[in-house]
Amino acid sequence: MASPRAHLLYTAGRLGGAAVSLLAVLVTGFFLFRIVPGDPVRALTRGTPTTAGQLDALRHQFGLDLPLWRQFTDYCAKALTGDLGVSYQFRAPVGELIAQKAPATLLLTGVAVVLYSAIGLWIGARAAWRHGGPGDRVHTGVALALWSVPSFWLGLLLITVFAVGAGPVPGLFPTGGMSTGTESGLAHAVDVTHHLVLPVVTLVAVGYAQTLLVMRSSLLDEMGGDYLTTARAKGLRDSAVRRRHAVPNALLPTVTMVFINLGHVAAGSILVETVFSWPGLGGLFYQALSVPDLPLVQGLFLVFAGAMIVMNLLADLLCPLLDPRVAR
Amino acid sequence: MVAEPSESRARARPWMCAVAALLVLAPAAPSAAPSGGGRQVLTVAVSQSVDSLSPFLAKRLVSTTVHRLAYEYLTNYDPGDGRVIPGLATAWKSSPSKLTWTYTIRENSRWSDGRRATADDAAWTFNRMMSDEKAAAANGSFTANFREVTAPDPRTLVVELKKPQANMVALDIPIVPRHVWERIGDLSAFNNDRHFPIVGNGPFVITGFEVDQFIRLEPNKDFWRGAPAFDELLLKFYKDGDAAVAALRKGEVSFVQGLVPAQAAALRRTADIRVNDAPGRRFLALAVNPGARARNGRAFGTGHRALRDPAVRRALFHAVDRREIVEGLFQGHATEGAGYIPPRFGAYFWRPEPHQEIAHDPARAAALLDGAGYRRKGDGVRTGKNGEPLALRLLCHAADPYDAHIGRYLHEVWRELGVETRMECRDNVSDSWLKGDYDLAFDGWSVNPDPDFVLSIHTCAALPATPSGSGSTDNFICDRRFDELYARQIAEYDPVKRAEVVKRMQSRLYDTGLMNVLAYPNAVEAYRTDHIESITTMPEDGGSLWGQDGYWSWWSAKPADGHGRSGEAASATEVVVGIGALIAAAAVLTGLVALRRRATADDRE
Amino acid sequence: MTESALPRSPAPARRPGAAVRFWHSYRAHRAGLLGLGALTLIAAVALLAPLLADEDVRKVTGAPGDPLEPPSAAFWLGTDQFGRPLLGLLVWGARISLTVGLLAAGMSVAIGALVGIAAGHYGGWFATVLMRVTDWFLVMPTLVLAIVLATVMSRSVWTVIIAIGVTSWPTTARLVRAQTVAVESRPYIERAKALGGGHRHIMSRHVLPNVMPLVLAQTTLGISAAILTEATLAFLGLGDPMVVSWGGMLQEAREAGAVSSGHWWCLAPPGLAIAVVALAFTLCGRTIETVLDPRRGVDR
Repeated sequence: MASPRAHLLYTAGRLGGAAVSLLAVLVTGFFLFRIVPGDPVRALTRGTPTTAGQLDALRHQFGLDLPLWRQFTDYCAKALTGDLGVSYQFRAPVGELIAQKAPATLLLTGVAVVLYSAIGLWIGARAAWRHGGPGDRVHTGVALALWSVPSFWLGLLLITVFAVGAGPVPGLFPTGGMSTGTESGLAHAVDVTHHLVLPVVTLVAVGYAQTLLVMRSSLLDEMGGDYLTTARAKGLRDSAVRRRHAVPNALLPTVTMVFINLGHVAAGSILVETVFSWPGLGGLFYQALSVPDLPLVQGLFLVFAGAMIVMNLLADLLCPLLDPRVAR
Repeated sequence: MVAEPSESRARARPWMCAVAALLVLAPAAPSAAPSGGGRQVLTVAVSQSVDSLSPFLAKRLVSTTVHRLAYEYLTNYDPGDGRVIPGLATAWKSSPSKLTWTYTIRENSRWSDGRRATADDAAWTFNRMMSDEKAAAANGSFTANFREVTAPDPRTLVVELKKPQANMVALDIPIVPRHVWERIGDLSAFNNDRHFPIVGNGPFVITGFEVDQFIRLEPNKDFWRGAPAFDELLLKFYKDGDAAVAALRKGEVSFVQGLVPAQAAALRRTADIRVNDAPGRRFLALAVNPGARARNGRAFGTGHRALRDPAVRRALFHAVDRREIVEGLFQGHATEGAGYIPPRFGAYFWRPEPHQEIAHDPARAAALLDGAGYRRKGDGVRTGKNGEPLALRLLCHAADPYDAHIGRYLHEVWRELGVETRMECRDNVSDSWLKGDYDLAFDGWSVNPDPDFVLSIHTCAALPATPSGSGSTDNFICDRRFDELYARQIAEYDPVKRAEVVKRMQSRLYDTGLMNVLAYPNAVEAYRTDHIESITTMPEDGGSLWGQDGYWSWWSAKPADGHGRSGEAASATEVVVGIGALIAAAAVLTGLVALRRRATADDRE
Repeated sequence: MTESALPRSPAPARRPGAAVRFWHSYRAHRAGLLGLGALTLIAAVALLAPLLADEDVRKVTGAPGDPLEPPSAAFWLGTDQFGRPLLGLLVWGARISLTVGLLAAGMSVAIGALVGIAAGHYGGWFATVLMRVTDWFLVMPTLVLAIVLATVMSRSVWTVIIAIGVTSWPTTARLVRAQTVAVESRPYIERAKALGGGHRHIMSRHVLPNVMPLVLAQTTLGISAAILTEATLAFLGLGDPMVVSWGGMLQEAREAGAVSSGHWWCLAPPGLAIAVVALAFTLCGRTIETVLDPRRGVDR
């Protein structure tokens, strides 16, 4: 067992590391997007009658007439107090815009990650237990094949077959969006679930292979362990040995990966959101980048990278609880 | 996808049901939406995100379209021929000095909260735009030349100008209710999207908005021109155009715009769908960098020197076959390019005389280049006298598929001619554009009924004051003769005489060879005839429905028999399917939990 | 990706006949052979593209067919929105997809190996800084970063290669560093150091050959990821509009309304091609890993 002191040091180290990473992301976010070509003011006014005076006024409003170092210090000072600025194109606080769109993305990718982690763990464990057998080969083969499929392509095919309808298959599901916009209450919930099916199926099909493979190989590692033989010698049933002894030990790398996948939640669905017109953060990022709507794009970048950092941190902090050897 | 494990029997547990229910209810944000049953809803698919619902900020077409529906402007345009007709103003006249305009405001227009709309509201709107630069963000170019705006009585609005301004009968500015808006301090931070219904006096009232999901409008029963027939107008967002078309096929939406040729062709063969292929209001041109410079005379940018030679410019466009572009790339959904202003605006449309036309003639193109000193060895790239190869950059919008298609075509035909082109496609072209770092660029504008703005962007006054300053110039064109004509048209209040001047301006622009209009893309749209029985296009004869210069289409739309009553049945099947999906998800979860529970049970054995 | 992040035993040192032995073990894996066969076939198609399909097939004008024709005797896979035969485009597209995949993965692994070896060899604050940078790249959302890079630069094949290359190296760097540390702790490296071998000598003569197998496996797996990313970027409209690539073909099919009109023949072939190539590289990569690390000999 690790001493409490070692554990504390470990935790403090990880927390410090995460804080440094967040700061680095904050700074990078600012400079990374300043090199994106494009004058936001011109991009926003293109196509509408605009005078030079209006352009200057907008530039002043956005603070783009200030020297770069001033823009940077202003941005940092505000960001540290939680203020991410005001979006150029939507004229609304960035935090508010992100809060508006985040639930949609969290719902979609959250459901998908939970489902594919569960499915991956389950099939992975079974495949490893009967490894080399036909079931293992089929499961691993199918998972690898689906993993190699571009998710946007699978999404398009699913829309063509199950939303538009192909041949005898009627169009069972909506073609895109998150709701029909005409329902309320429970009907609205069912409506959203209905819209959720195809995008979630896409994400799960493409994503579960990773969990499966990690689970399978770490379980295979565990299966060589002496303690399993002991457990069997005690007369425990095969399935009991697997569930009680092998699987919990093999879970560590898989749990780490589930957390890393959760970190991807924010950024990971850009493609599927595009294909299914899902009103989430991915689409917002894309719109923001094409202007470039600097405050919005910086804020989103912070959220995307921040989610990764926080989830990595959680995985790091949880690991010693699952396996005390880590904190030593 | 997942086989049920043979050894584990799925047993539903009460707490699992709770989790499943939570999963479903999580997104169920309280919504004031009325249920769809029995209402006749006209659903329009839109792709653009709303930038703002504030008339002082909104610039995007989707937002200004909504404003046309929710607010009255001083004037409107006749759906038949596009001439100016009364809106909030019933009559208008200008003083002999051309500097004072007096509008008579109608008495029968009411805000949706019951108050009367008066000249005072209009005067307040304009004054706010003149005094507060934050209020000028969207439409400030209309009021930049105003000296003073007053409302001597509720029926009279007086605008004093600094200089004559010909577009005074085409002020496309939504008039807002003063009693609502004067309470708002910082207009740059107010998006007008919190409190519904939003007070307006147009044919519709905005009653709901969910970012990137929908905008809901309901008819204004007291609208002076008569209330619209549908119970609801729902603008629904589809980021992917093809998803919107699929939704149209399924009847999820009633109207889709911005179709590509293949979509239009497929929809033409579909029952209950009508494809509307109307002349568009956009031109698609190639802009040639004339050598960027500022008003102070300083040259900047990296435009190719060869393009300063008019013969080279002519040669490039002699090599282009517009018919090939229209037939091959647009597959007929466009008109061949001629003058600067699209033929939809008949009064201003101009086409080149035979003697000045740069027609498709590859032999002449080659001869012109030979004559200009750009010789070719074999099949290679032509080089000038100084040995510089004729290799040009072509700036294109990455998001526009037609740019890429036409770019490929130009690359092919110019290669035949001995001119090399390299496409530079970007999401945001404005940076290279402003710095003058381009040789050729795809350029296109949506033209308003009043052509003043699209002409003004080619005047010397629009150039940036210094190379780093901001100007409204489109392509760094600065031509004395064009400027003289521009000054004449802005002060010409007689429509016929003004149109003559505008045509001469287009002729001059054409002769410079700096703006070459390739095509006028059509507005290709489709709607369900089992939802919409009749609808007014603009122009009434073969015009478009989306992006009109008025509210005619949605105001005039009449629901088809039976539309809206079949709604319940459709949503019932959806509910069944949704519940099926839910049960499946719950089953998977329950299975997993059962697995874990069994593990514990085994342990106790 | 994460699977290979697991601890592994040190790879076998270079010995004569290693290649032959390697091939003997590789041959025993059916999946690996299948992947290799598929790759050979696709590589041959890409190399022979000028013989298999006319170069003019990529021209948008004067195309032989009508727009969006279904598969027929004349056009085996049908035509695209300009009437160009899809089979020909698919053949030419193989070149771009493979080129981008190979170069981007090569670049990514090269950066990763360089950083990993340097960090593993030198240690100290230098390694700490390098690994912090690596960790920082690791938490960056790769696709987001690649999109930003592709937006910043002009649309070209090189942009895509660079965007993929500079965003996907951190995993390799971490693996290579771990391996380097393991190799350098062996006695014979101590001996080499004692005999006066310089940093360069140690890194290039002792560490690199030992890390090479790992790098090879990483590259093979990386290619499959790079091909998918290339398709993704092209699909998001960030590819070079002037070249034909599989991702670009999907993007064009979608733009042309293939989904709503049910023109599955435009959609299916490019996606399948991407999946097959990516799967083939994955199978080869996994087999190489298994062969190099028999403890994980599970892939039969």
